[in-house]
Amino acid sequence: MSTNGHGGGLARPGFRSLTAGLLLAATACGLYTLNSQIEVFGFGASGPDARSFPRAALWMLAAVVALRLILSLRQEDDTLSASRLRRVIIVAASAALALWAMPRIGFFAGAAGMGIVVALILGERKPLLLGLPIVVAAIVAYGGHHGLNIPLP
Amino acid sequence: MLIDAFLELLNLWVLVAALVGIISGIIIGAIPGLGPTMAIALLIPVTFSMEPIPAIILLLGVYQGAIFGGSISAVLLNVPGTPSSAATAIDGFAMARRGEGGRALRFALYASIFGNIFSCLVLMALAEPLARFALDFGPAEMAMLMLFALLVIVLFGGGSKLDALIMVLVGACAGIVGLDPISGTPRFTFGSFAFENGFQLIPVLIGLFAMSEVLLQAFDREPLVGDTKVPPLQSSVVRFAELWRMRATLLLSSVIGTFVGILPGIGSTVPAFMSYNLARARSDAAEQFGNGAPEGIAAPEAANNAVTGGALVPTLALGIPGDAVTAVILGAFMLHGLAPGPFLFRDHGVEVYAIFEALLLSSIPTVILGLLFFRVAIHVTRIQPRHLLPAIAILAIFGAFSVNNSLFDVWVMLGAGVLGFLFQRSGFPLPPLLIGLILGAPFEQSLRQGLLTSGGGYGIFFGSPITVGLVVLIGLSLAISLALSLRKPRP
Repeated sequence: MSTNGHGGGLARPGFRSLTAGLLLAATACGLYTLNSQIEVFGFGASGPDARSFPRAALWMLAAVVALRLILSLRQEDDTLSASRLRRVIIVAASAALALWAMPRIGFFAGAAGMGIVVALILGERKPLLLGLPIVVAAIVAYGGHHGLNIPLP
Repeated sequence: MLIDAFLELLNLWVLVAALVGIISGIIIGAIPGLGPTMAIALLIPVTFSMEPIPAIILLLGVYQGAIFGGSISAVLLNVPGTPSSAATAIDGFAMARRGEGGRALRFALYASIFGNIFSCLVLMALAEPLARFALDFGPAEMAMLMLFALLVIVLFGGGSKLDALIMVLVGACAGIVGLDPISGTPRFTFGSFAFENGFQLIPVLIGLFAMSEVLLQAFDREPLVGDTKVPPLQSSVVRFAELWRMRATLLLSSVIGTFVGILPGIGSTVPAFMSYNLARARSDAAEQFGNGAPEGIAAPEAANNAVTGGALVPTLALGIPGDAVTAVILGAFMLHGLAPGPFLFRDHGVEVYAIFEALLLSSIPTVILGLLFFRVAIHVTRIQPRHLLPAIAILAIFGAFSVNNSLFDVWVMLGAGVLGFLFQRSGFPLPPLLIGLILGAPFEQSLRQGLLTSGGGYGIFFGSPITVGLVVLIGLSLAISLALSLRKPRP
């Protein structure tokens, strides 16, 4: 369900506001840490230094994102659905867990496990199709190691 | 040069790469929800161990095949496999409903080939002279050129200009991470050695276009193709005379596709609809458009295929990608040691012309495979992305890892995937982000080199005929965009 924000009032925050808010927070963090994260050694050269472009880009980004945030709060926005977001979080978390575990359990087990979780979350219930990630992970692991000589974890 | 390049193509692996690329492209393009950008991003790591020519031909084959493949689901199911096929669906599906799906697909195929050949010839004619001209560019000229390219993406990329500007700036800011291009000092590395190389293009691409698709499907979980019955395909032929009658439409659409494709960031959807509208306006039977007019299929298909060659002109000659797909192809060129830009033709002329000739000649297997795959494609269109997305997630991890054999790149890919999901769900366009990421660092480098050369004076950006020309183009772009905004009726 979307909330129509026309009529002067504020609309219920949705995806757009969330993304703009996160971007604004990240930009503010970038500006706050700019001086500590970029050291400048003056060699007497005139013109911009290593901080100039990042500072200008971050300030511009902060300004346009703030404008987008204000506009988003007054416009119709795609409502955040907790149950649907939960599925996304599970998929992202399973990928993160697989990556974290890969150095210990190896690429095949990590990737196959994540693939099965993704298939289940996407609504797959047929055993044959649930087994597909295992086959793909095995082919990729074998092909990567032996065909492309990639030292997979 | 052309003969040397042709001799390079007389290699079995080149033929195999072209065939595999086109077949994969047709299949992937026909599956609604899977586009050429994702397919190419995932296939780049597979090409690591290949020679540059077959590797790039494989990826370009995927691109060509996917653009045509997108029209299969558009015609048969009214579900465009790629956004640029949306215009094809209007008349294509109308023809399919009255049992002429086979004819509609043949028109789409022949028009695609016409657009591809036309744009390849333009690419061969324009790219090298443009690159040679760009050899005279100094840092100030390059900075102004990149500023112009970024501005065009923001102003004419379609959708909200504010959102496009945000995405360009996000890309440019992401490009800051790593070592400073002039002094070499670390920037936003948070003390981590892994961050010093910055965000590698391929993991970011895979995250933005493949992993984000997995997350989007997890969010939506609705089949893109319902239980729509595929209309029966009857045996049919398209006569040469029928194509000859629409020669002006084919030519005009190809011109539109090619030259709009040259402009950065516009993509193939806009020229497809422009060509459709022009064909309808020029037609004596305009009332047939929307009810199954063959020209309504031919026009957008010729245009969206012609974009391929057009978009490759600035990509290869100047290192400025025309759209998301060419940005991915640019990444592939760089990985294979063929750095796009003014020096590409001087240093790797034979390889580049071999790729151009292959792109031109691949029209022959595309026709043959396209005609063979019509009936197979009906089954392919029924595949739900959810059957393939777990495999895509696995390939995304593998692809990101294989760039540098580093799990850090896989974390970058996952982060880019989450961001890509948020941006797409919020309606922010991804191509400007990608182009901002690619052009941000070289833009800063050129800007600062220019200012170092001039001792800090900004006059260098207005001091040569080339920079003045680019300033005029920037001014014109702003004026045209403003005029278009003022003419647009307010809701």
